[in-house]
Amino acid sequence: MAAEPGLQELRELVAEFQPGRGHVLPALHKVQRTYGWVPRAAIEAIARQLNTTPALIYGAVTFYSDFRTHPPAKFEVAWCCGPACRLRGGEAIREAIQEELGIGLDEQTPDHRFGLHVGQCNGTCHEAPQIWVNGRVRGNLTPESARDIIRSLRDGE
Amino acid sequence: MNARLQKLIADAKAAWQAEQSSGRIRVRVTLDTSSIARGAEETLARLQEAAASRKIDADVGITGSWGFCWLEPCVSVRSAAGTHAVLYGNVTPDRVNELVEAIAAGRDLPSLALGVIEGNATAEIPLLEDHPFMKGQVRRLMANLGRIDPENIDHYLAHGGYEGFGKALEMDAEAIVKEVLDSGLGGRGGGGFPTGRKWDFLRNATSSPRYLICNADEGDPGAWVNRILMEGDPHLIIEGMLIAALASHADEGYIYIRYEYPLAFERMKKAVAQAYEKGLLGKDILGTGKNFELIVFLGAGSYVCGEETGLINSIDGYRGMPRIKPPFPAQAGLWNRPTNVNNVESYANAPLILRNGAQWWSSVSDAKEKGTKMFTFSGHVKQAGCIEIPFGPKVRTLLEQYGGGLSGDLPLKGFQPGGPLSGILPASDIDLPLTLDPYRERGMFLGSGGVVFFDQSACILDLCLFFLGFCEDESCGRCTTCHGGTQRAVEILRRIAAGGGRDADLENFENLIGTLVWSNCLHGQFAMTSIKTSLKTFRDEYIEHIVDKVCRAGVCKGLMPGRWARRAAPQPAAAAAS
Ligand SMILES: Cc1cc2nc3c(=O)[nH]c(=O)nc-3n(C[C@H](O)[C@H](O)[C@H](O)COP(=O)(O)O)c2cc1C
Ligand code: SF4
Ligand code: FES
Repeated sequence: MAAEPGLQELRELVAEFQPGRGHVLPALHKVQRTYGWVPRAAIEAIARQLNTTPALIYGAVTFYSDFRTHPPAKFEVAWCCGPACRLRGGEAIREAIQEELGIGLDEQTPDHRFGLHVGQCNGTCHEAPQIWVNGRVRGNLTPESARDIIRSLRDGE
Repeated sequence: MNARLQKLIADAKAAWQAEQSSGRIRVRVTLDTSSIARGAEETLARLQEAAASRKIDADVGITGSWGFCWLEPCVSVRSAAGTHAVLYGNVTPDRVNELVEAIAAGRDLPSLALGVIEGNATAEIPLLEDHPFMKGQVRRLMANLGRIDPENIDHYLAHGGYEGFGKALEMDAEAIVKEVLDSGLGGRGGGGFPTGRKWDFLRNATSSPRYLICNADEGDPGAWVNRILMEGDPHLIIEGMLIAALASHADEGYIYIRYEYPLAFERMKKAVAQAYEKGLLGKDILGTGKNFELIVFLGAGSYVCGEETGLINSIDGYRGMPRIKPPFPAQAGLWNRPTNVNNVESYANAPLILRNGAQWWSSVSDAKEKGTKMFTFSGHVKQAGCIEIPFGPKVRTLLEQYGGGLSGDLPLKGFQPGGPLSGILPASDIDLPLTLDPYRERGMFLGSGGVVFFDQSACILDLCLFFLGFCEDESCGRCTTCHGGTQRAVEILRRIAAGGGRDADLENFENLIGTLVWSNCLHGQFAMTSIKTSLKTFRDEYIEHIVDKVCRAGVCKGLMPGRWARRAAPQPAAAAAS
């Protein structure tokens, strides 16, 4: 795993943002786009840049479900918890994937190759039930096909 | 009209005309989140390869959604002469070759055809407007979808785009507000509050700068109408905000898009950049001396940020907690300045009203609510898609005509009109119209357009568990009534599902219903709606769960499966152990 970026590097990354202009989320997004997550030092770097406190920045990070405070897995699997997916068997998909990976929601496999988290409906309910693997929809799943997807990702390396 | 705008439009029309008469076959692939989920990127790539290798002599491009989401990828093919065009559905990567062969041979492909979109019907392919899915639809907001490239501002300009803004430039703010008021446009984000009145609040504000916010958070699971518009015709929203800016003397605007919509975010950003380039945004717009800055803002995964004051706090960089009102945003919103928040679809109607007049706009609907409304539908339907229809269709029409009926062989059990706060109704309410009043009268609300249908395989308590769980996860944590109350409701529902229902639970629910209404914002106030409404109409099912320890749908694993269950009853020993 790559080393955590240092404060100086992060300060340069967020140097374009300004206080009082609604730049907290854009700065956090830029950090996450760059590293795949929001390292600790980024909280300080953004707080300094925006002339505010780390507490406020950290408060924002924890409020929003899409900021990660740890590096992503190689395959981030989002399980859609929405109504169409649930009605069409989503719970069984979740159970199959959890069993196949041996982890629960918001966890990663010990080798950091798979992470599993809840995804919110993005309006592709016509493919329910579904998961997204690194943002790509894999839909119309059965527990068996969900397991197959996980297995082929695992064996694909 | 403003001379610079006139020139922009004339040039765009000339360019469009030239494109049309290029003498080449035109192929347009719907490229949006729904079609990409079904392989549209690969379909597009195959068609582009076929064109590049001269297998077909065609100009291949992209367009927005036709609403046939379950039949994506959709591809339209227009003949070289421009006299005949057909829309195809289900052109998945494994079938696109059939279409390539047909195009190369200069023939239609009836097996994948949805209908003829230009020219006459053929012996094998009827007109698209005669397709059951298209009948009764009135496509105004969606008029450009399927026809123009959403990433090309000239396409928009060539189809009446920015003409409404051009008209508004010649009116004073009061006259624009009056036109919107006269149309009867009500907010599309769920509340239905008259849009013209909101603009008038801002117009009459006494301080500046003033802000406009476009609420593109579309957090209701099962609703994707705003996404369809942003991905298919982003300039319609920009033009709507420009008109609102003129009407309310606003200086700056934000389009707040949820994190789950990366493509909508990219398309809106691109469209805003193009509008700046053409001088339609920024300083001294088209030489008129008017200024309006527009910023596209990405959310980060929070449902309550769809609540207007939560959204404002979110832009400000704080946790997206809804504020205590008053003050209302029109008095003290973003950075405590006067602010107006409208839904995507509300703004998108403004160009149509200004271009064609309030009279034209409102005459389409017989309901109290005027204009057209977009709906998406999902769940146990055959066809999950998106329509635009005069306000006030029956729920039944959505299910039977547009949704193609139920997907399984079980009867309908009920539906949710729009989002996790809107409540649950039984199948017997299927003839209710999709207007505001019937739901208000039942202590629920219509919501923003995502209807979810479910058949007898669904368990009401399990659905409530999902909706309450959602409300618990998304509660901002400010009010004990909301974060504690939803947590309590989830605990009770879980306990019932595990076989631990108690006689007092019905009263527990009633208590929670009475307590959560004290919450600060609508999130907490309406969090119990699904339980409240289903306790009335599905009371038997609660009693079965709590007293008889039976789940008729066989969903709750700690209970005996009942009459609709597809799973077998556990062996007696196992049942006794649980
Ligand atoms: C929890 C919650 C979530 C909401 N989510 C949205 C949303 O995603 N989109 C939306 O337009 N309005 C949403 N609203 C309603 C907004 O607060 C606001 O009323 C609306 O954006 C006003 O726009 P309109 O007048 O054009 O309808 C939500 C309200 C609540 C309480
Ligand atoms: S009702 Fe819920 S979401 Fe709304 S302010 Fe209170 S805790 Fe937050
Ligand atoms: S419910 Fe899963 S995509 Fe909509």
